[in-house]
Amino acid sequence: MLQLLASAVGTVVSVLIGVAAVGIVVAVVVLHVVRKKQGKGGCDCGCDGCPGCHACHSHTDPKQKKS
Amino acid sequence: MRKFALAGNPNSGKTTLFNALTGSTAHVGNWPGVTVDKREGVYKRLPEQVAIVDLPGIYSLSPYTPEEVIARNYILDEKPDCVINIVDATNLERNLYLTTQLLEMDVPVAVALNMTDVVQKNGDKLDAKALEKQLGVPVVEISALKGTGIKELMERAYKASSQGRKGSTVLASSPLGHVIGDVTIALAGQKVPNPLFHAVKLVEGDELEVKAHPVEMETVAAFQKQSAGSLAGQDFEALAADARYKYITANFAGAYTRAKKKGELTRSDKADRILTHRIWGIPIFLVILFAMFHLTFGTDFLYLNTIVGWFNGGEGFAFDVATGNDVLDSFTAVFFCADGISTPGAILFNLMDFITSWIGTGIAAGMEAIDAAAWAQGLVNEGIWGGVGGVLSFVPQILTLFLLLSILEDSGYMARVAFILDRAFRKFGLSGRAFIPMIMGFGCSVPAAINTRTLADDKERAMTNRVIPFFTCGAKAPILAAVCGAIAAEYTGVSPDLLVFALYVFGMAMAIIMVAIMRQTTMRGEVAPFIMELPAYHAPQFRNLMVHMWDKLKHYIKKAFTIILASSIVIWFLQNFSWQWQMVSIEESILHDVGSFLTWLCTPMGFGLQLEAGYGWVFAVAAVVGLIAKENVIAAFYIIAVGIGFADVGQSEDGIAEVVYLMGETGITWQGLIAYTVFNMLTVPCFAAAATVKAETPKGKFRYTVAFWMLTSYVTATVVYLVLTWWWTAIIVAAVAAAFIAYVVLRNKGVIGRKVGSENLF
Repeated sequence: MLQLLASAVGTVVSVLIGVAAVGIVVAVVVLHVVRKKQGKGGCDCGCDGCPGCHACHSHTDPKQKKS
Repeated sequence: MRKFALAGNPNSGKTTLFNALTGSTAHVGNWPGVTVDKREGVYKRLPEQVAIVDLPGIYSLSPYTPEEVIARNYILDEKPDCVINIVDATNLERNLYLTTQLLEMDVPVAVALNMTDVVQKNGDKLDAKALEKQLGVPVVEISALKGTGIKELMERAYKASSQGRKGSTVLASSPLGHVIGDVTIALAGQKVPNPLFHAVKLVEGDELEVKAHPVEMETVAAFQKQSAGSLAGQDFEALAADARYKYITANFAGAYTRAKKKGELTRSDKADRILTHRIWGIPIFLVILFAMFHLTFGTDFLYLNTIVGWFNGGEGFAFDVATGNDVLDSFTAVFFCADGISTPGAILFNLMDFITSWIGTGIAAGMEAIDAAAWAQGLVNEGIWGGVGGVLSFVPQILTLFLLLSILEDSGYMARVAFILDRAFRKFGLSGRAFIPMIMGFGCSVPAAINTRTLADDKERAMTNRVIPFFTCGAKAPILAAVCGAIAAEYTGVSPDLLVFALYVFGMAMAIIMVAIMRQTTMRGEVAPFIMELPAYHAPQFRNLMVHMWDKLKHYIKKAFTIILASSIVIWFLQNFSWQWQMVSIEESILHDVGSFLTWLCTPMGFGLQLEAGYGWVFAVAAVVGLIAKENVIAAFYIIAVGIGFADVGQSEDGIAEVVYLMGETGITWQGLIAYTVFNMLTVPCFAAAATVKAETPKGKFRYTVAFWMLTSYVTATVVYLVLTWWWTAIIVAAVAAAFIAYVVLRNKGVIGRKVGSENLF
């Protein structure tokens, strides 16, 4: 009985691991696509410390600003 | 909400003040040009919240580089309620040049005399009240670093922002005063905002103003034509600059009294006599760089074991501290190894490996205990934890490297590096200004590519963007550490720190060589003049160092548990499943099929068809997944090594053991491994860096940059493999290089072929 229960737990955990793995891959890809569409940089660097963080978050060609 | 803009000369402490006001942790560096774009924060200690905008450093309001345009346009277009002008009190006269221009705008200005702590330390005296009287705007002494005077500054700036202000110019009493007055009236009549500022800029011949106000420019041109006497034939821009400096010297110089006599050297000057020496400057830089890599990647601390061996008949330290207790012995191995006492970087690396291996063993045991399916155990132990754990093992070494780099940057030494490299390589077409983003590339290519905006010359920007990835970034460091560690483990007498150092220097040398080649072929042109203020040396600030480290740690952990994790899962899946979605051995997997397709391409570089059992695909696949993030190369090594049969699952996720195993199984030579590392260093960088370079490159030119990366990495890795394997091939390589140089020189002189001008081919 205990062996059966252990086997069932193992199967459930295995299925959950599989689902989680697929979920992680899909989430990371979707997150990057969404961030890209929002105009946010996809570099994942620490933006607080980045000297050019503003460029990633609302990128505009500085040359176009000349007026 | 009111908006206050922080404006001032580069390296005057704007970002330090911004951090102090807003509680931000923006990157601060002791060199000019750290901030290349504006950033916003909020100050909350006034009756109402105030938005603070940190602008890039500028020397004047006549912009030459894109980031200067950003600063100028912000003040003109966004109309902040007050401009806080940060003035480096130790360089008062030069900093006030910008102040005189800011005062010409119809905007409230408050002057923050920063670095007063340094003024006091030097024994100098500053008369802020006299300065305030002369300038007619609030002047407050502050130390952004120590946090003194900031509250008073904000209160006075807030008060000034409530009162409004009309522009005034120090040029009114100069010979240009008359024409400036006329143009100001004309512009005011047209209701142009900031008429005085625009009038002054028109008279100075500012390119942007001349385009914007062609009618008023005619007035200036007519005045110039009629001018006689001292004004005849003069350059009005130079005249205005001269008049400003004369005014500053006459009226403001008295506000600062130096304790030291003129010509007496400061401590920074004395240090610079050695560190920026014409001959010793570069060797000293290389020694400092090597010391950095030794402390990070070395295994024999200060080569004590080797030195003891010299005096002891080849016998170094004999560390026999084995107790028989596995856990205790593993812990002792963190601090001591066969090479002797570990360096700080190696100790931290071993400690992290000890922790990750311990976690890995725990996870493996747990998965077995719950009787999870074999595929689930493989996915978790080999795929997920193997990939992520392998990358995490290198976090301490990356942090050590960054700590040492931050110390160099914060102390002011990095600015000197640009200076000494400029002196040495200017004749090859490289400007010292371009070296600043290149050196930033040691951290991450993304901010480095963005920093190229500070380069005024388009060709120089394009060239710099192309070679930035050659400066090995933090993500590539694990590849170097693992490969060099594995070679050192396999071959006695090889020092991993020396090998890593050699590869870093090789990357830098390649950058210099490629820029020199581009300067002579596809991107001819004059090298832009390099003028940079060398900041005073100071002891690195603990807070700054911790902020840099914290940012890097956050970045690494985030990356490990997102991109690296997802990539590891995908690699594991491709390695264990066939096209029919069935679990198979690695030889029948999708990864094997895809990798095998690329193997023949890698043969000239030493990691292709010549490898045993057709394992060439292993390295091709690792290089390809490295395009997503360079740390993936190490993750792929671990997962593939386990797939081939690496049995050390859960025992070691240090990257080195896997490479040693792959060397044995695939038969890759050390020459092939070095060529592989060189290929990864020089090839297309990660997607994020490539996207940033694309954004910073003129439209349509990025494809040439990608071709440049691919060709350079392929040819260089091939040459490295050939020369290291068969030394005599160096003669052929040298002959081809000499023929190429001769061809370029003769072609440029017009002796052969068409004489080429300065056109940009790519």
